[in-house]
Amino acid sequence: MKNSDEEEVQVFKRLNRMKIKMGREKDARPGRIDEKAIEEADAMLVALCAECPNAIGGYLSELSKNWEEMRDLPESSERQNISDVMFTTAHEIKDIGSMCGYDLTAYFAESLRDYIQHTELNMDAQRVIIQAHLDAMQVAFKENIKDDESPLAEELKKVVKIAIEKYR
Amino acid sequence: MNVTYHEPPPPYDLSNLTVLLVEDSEYMMSLMSSMLKAFSVGDILTCKNANEAIGILTITQARKKSRFVTDVDIIVTDWLMPGGSGEELIDWVRAHEDDALRFLPIILMSAYTTEKVIAMARDHGANESLVKPLSAKSLAARICMVIDNPRPFIQAPGFFGPDRRRQEMVPSGEDRRKMRTEQIREHNEKL
Repeated sequence: MKNSDEEEVQVFKRLNRMKIKMGREKDARPGRIDEKAIEEADAMLVALCAECPNAIGGYLSELSKNWEEMRDLPESSERQNISDVMFTTAHEIKDIGSMCGYDLTAYFAESLRDYIQHTELNMDAQRVIIQAHLDAMQVAFKENIKDDESPLAEELKKVVKIAIEKYR
Repeated sequence: MNVTYHEPPPPYDLSNLTVLLVEDSEYMMSLMSSMLKAFSVGDILTCKNANEAIGILTITQARKKSRFVTDVDIIVTDWLMPGGSGEELIDWVRAHEDDALRFLPIILMSAYTTEKVIAMARDHGANESLVKPLSAKSLAARICMVIDNPRPFIQAPGFFGPDRRRQEMVPSGEDRRKMRTEQIREHNEKL
């Protein structure tokens, strides 16, 4: 088959080896994963999510500590190293938060992660934007505002947005 | 023809399955590993980024004849990871010269994922996406999808990966074609 650019388009329909590896005929009807195993896995998910507030709290403290160290440092490898640590921590908070229903914290963590390495921002701008993110995350977490679409959540998002718009 | 089954199919025995889990978050890694273990997945290989995953895949391919090394059957990967992203991993796999690698099923797993990321992953050649809210049921569904419905692969300019169309488009309404497909074929053969 040729497309409009007259370049070759090939279609590969391969033998379903995975199905055979699972001990079924290649054309056998769709299978399933045992419901008991799914229930067991969901129970693990719930148990791990019970640890979520502690984990997020710990990461937020780390972020604040790192930011205190980084805030007034001039451009340097030391500043870059702390920035890398903050990037990873924010990324971790985003993952845990969204996994366990802390959507608003996850929202700010993702945004912070993206801003922490915007090196084109001048120091003052970065200082305000990052601080706004950290403050919003602390408020969301301490006030237990999980939903990222509630009026309170929208209010917090607005505060951070203003900081971003003003200093970007 | 639709076939109706009165009994549910027997559950899959996943003890022969090897999953490569690529995830930088320890928390998510632990969560995903636990769920895969609950599904009785035989081997779960783990690493933190694309570069490590490429290392593992290179070793398993190079030593695939050894009885101590198992082939990876499914890759489950995060998208954004420091030290090599999911995008880089998918590109590497889909461009590999070894068919055993380049046709490998890849499931993108990402929390708080936007539609843009899902579209990007699909356009780079991911088979399935596993997004928030992550649950054991959704993970099981993606694994079954990869086993039961492997989509054909398409090699086109600028793309190699599973067919991005999820279903065959069947025209609705009255058939107004003047010639049927078979007639067109016959007609063409006569020419």
